[in-house]
Amino acid sequence: MNPYIMALLLFGLGLGTTITFASSHWLLAWMGLEINTLAIIPLMAQHHHPRAVEATTKYFLTQATAAAMLLFASTTNAWLTGEWDIQQMSHPLPTTMITLALALKIGLAPMHSWMPEVLQGLDLTTGLILSTWQKLAPFALFLQIHPNNSTILITLGLASTLVGGWGGLNQTQLRKILAYSSIAHLGWMTLVLQFAPSLTLLTLLTYFVMTFSAFLVFKLNKATTVNSLAISWAKTPILTSLAPLILLSLGGLPPLTGFLPKWLILQELTKQGLPLLATFAALTALLSLYFYLRLSYAMTLTMFPNNLAGSAPWRFHSPQLTLPLAVSTATAILTLPLAPAAMALFAP
Amino acid sequence: MLKILIPTFMLIPTTWLTPAKWLWPTTLAQSFIIALASLTWLKNLSETGWSCLSTYLATDALSTPLLVLTCWLLPLMILASQKHTALEPVNRQRMYITLLTSLQFFLILAFGATELIMFYVMFEATLIPTLIIITRWGNQTERLNAGTYFLFYTLAGSLPLLVALLLLQNNTGTLSLLTLQYSNPLPLVSYADKLWWAGCLLAFLVKMPLYGVHLWLPKAHVEAPIAGSMVLAAVLLKLGGYGMMRMMIMLEPLTEKLSYPFIIFALWGVIMTGSICLRQTDLKSLIAYSSVSHMGLVAGGILIQTPWGFTGALILMIAHGLTSSALFCLANTNYERTHSRTMILARGLQMVLPLMATWWFIASLANLALPPLPNLMGELMIITSLFSWSWWTLALTGAGTLITAAYSLYMFLMTQRGPLPPHLIALEPTHSREHLLILLHLLPLMLLTLKPELIWGWTA
Amino acid sequence: MVNFVALAREHWVNILVPMGFVIGWYLDKQQDQKLTAFRNKSVLFSRELKPGEEVTWK
Repeated sequence: MNPYIMALLLFGLGLGTTITFASSHWLLAWMGLEINTLAIIPLMAQHHHPRAVEATTKYFLTQATAAAMLLFASTTNAWLTGEWDIQQMSHPLPTTMITLALALKIGLAPMHSWMPEVLQGLDLTTGLILSTWQKLAPFALFLQIHPNNSTILITLGLASTLVGGWGGLNQTQLRKILAYSSIAHLGWMTLVLQFAPSLTLLTLLTYFVMTFSAFLVFKLNKATTVNSLAISWAKTPILTSLAPLILLSLGGLPPLTGFLPKWLILQELTKQGLPLLATFAALTALLSLYFYLRLSYAMTLTMFPNNLAGSAPWRFHSPQLTLPLAVSTATAILTLPLAPAAMALFAP
Repeated sequence: MLKILIPTFMLIPTTWLTPAKWLWPTTLAQSFIIALASLTWLKNLSETGWSCLSTYLATDALSTPLLVLTCWLLPLMILASQKHTALEPVNRQRMYITLLTSLQFFLILAFGATELIMFYVMFEATLIPTLIIITRWGNQTERLNAGTYFLFYTLAGSLPLLVALLLLQNNTGTLSLLTLQYSNPLPLVSYADKLWWAGCLLAFLVKMPLYGVHLWLPKAHVEAPIAGSMVLAAVLLKLGGYGMMRMMIMLEPLTEKLSYPFIIFALWGVIMTGSICLRQTDLKSLIAYSSVSHMGLVAGGILIQTPWGFTGALILMIAHGLTSSALFCLANTNYERTHSRTMILARGLQMVLPLMATWWFIASLANLALPPLPNLMGELMIITSLFSWSWWTLALTGAGTLITAAYSLYMFLMTQRGPLPPHLIALEPTHSREHLLILLHLLPLMLLTLKPELIWGWTA
Repeated sequence: MVNFVALAREHWVNILVPMGFVIGWYLDKQQDQKLTAFRNKSVLFSRELKPGEEVTWK
């Protein structure tokens, strides 16, 4: 792609999110979301093969539906309450509609099925943008409207953690697994959204760091299926031995960073008098853990027989920058002891 | 506390920076020095029971024996792993030692923690190194299955524990072990409280393991490399018993009624797993099931909640840790020579490895609880306290003891006595490394006979 | 004659664990002193030392 056009698109991507962040008016927020969507569409379709175009179309249709619903809901809100301000949502009908529209936009459970299909059609870089940066603007709106319909939020959240774990169980495609992992993590964020918005933000941030490392590991290995991970130890031995830790961190095993958001969310839920919900949510995390464990098995913990030519590739230098990966991997593995600092940073 | 913890951590850079030919001697010597230094914990003069206090860590009479056992086991694991990792590239050997060391690091933090959430985090943190040891260095393909079982059984039990601990924190305002016993007793009446009780204990009962949720253990033991089996039998199972003893003080009024089914399961498990041992063909699996049987007694002793029960449980945990670890080492010496765990393929080894047969004899006697050894002391105290609770339990515990004796004898006769099969003529002779390894297991066990108050726990 | 340079190059790593021990011992001692000071200041726990007794908290 022409670098000027690329720069323009990336600028549009940033601009859209920033407009949504900065706006207090629904129309402007909607505009930011649309700019954001329109900027990523060419990025998604840049390889021009039918699967990418199909993914782009699917993404466009769902995002357009969500945006239209959002516009409709905010107009209804203006009509009912005479108020365009995002922070002043007082009527339950538009609030619910906006909640559902945003859930469709980020891919929460009953409206999740576009997410794996779209992510599977993209290359890993665009997939990374889709599963991290594209979640920011909708979550900013989510945090601002203070949705108070707890049944909807808890249903969405629990369904997402469940579906995110369940759907990923049978996958052999890494991008689909990552999509389901994204659904499950978004479910955790939604669960705690009404009780402690700061925790949602913390979860989003740790999820970004872990997903960033996971995508870059797969990109460095040029791997898109579970099977192609099997030879990764011959390409990048050290990274391969760290990869299970990144994956188990995504799964939320204790001494790793991924446990931090889960722990704090469970604490918040028990504090709110929902211990059964907390237990159930924690047990759904086991479903996700299973496919992370399967990836670790395939990547590191089994070693396939190979010949001399097969073990040579580690001598080739990869053109990919490794510093960002090193930083994010260290963060994704080691920051649990910083839990008090993280809590102080995100405290309201 | 830090004077052991920091050296343990420094062992990891030592492992990576030391020259390849010095790798095993250096790590062995250094870890042994750490183990010897850890013996100073046994001298506990404090009035409150807690000593070596720091902000997050402390030792008391309950955790000290387990901490010392943890530190003692690292040099033994390094000693035992030398043969089967010898053919690997040196970086993988270093990785292996790093995993073992990190396991000791996490275990010290788990046993030394004065805060229940920290204990929980470290309890779970031991899963990852153990999982990698089992699934990366195991021998058969079933190891992946065993790793999955191990991880998911433990996590499915312990995630409710996390929620239960957080609830406890909401109710009492603290999870510190130093102050928890002085907080107001919880009014435990509703069904939700009963669920909470189960949530508090289930994780530890799975880890112990209680009969019924024990299926992960034989798989993990059979598939793990020798160091994995050793640490699993000697220390990781004891995390369950230790956690139960710590939690029991908070569960006071409910345990009396709710523990019935669990005591029944534990004692029934002693009989059942003992009977499974009697018809076992796989040596490692036999030792693993014998672990389940002994830990059933420990679970019974803890659930009965008498001082004698607790003391007996702690003594049996330490004694069983050393004994079963020694038995796994012995099984591994056989495995390294015959490349089979099947007992019927490696009979009559007394003829070729006579000194090894002596070690087998002593370890088998320890396993069946011969009089002066601490194994007997632990079992006897547990059986007595169970008997004073209800004398029907004697039918189960007595039969259990008998079956234990029977399968220990079966194991010894099967592997050591009888004629040597012709395919075993050209066996490698024993090494002094192996004799040292077994001796370092059995010597502490025998010396503990002379001073059992070190492992008496709170009653001392 | 033993070649000390070669010896140091080969075995310098052996210093790490003892160094860790010294650091840990020092930090433990600091912690002990802090706790002792706290204890001796508190009204509840401070008491007259018996002859020959050095610390009150043990």
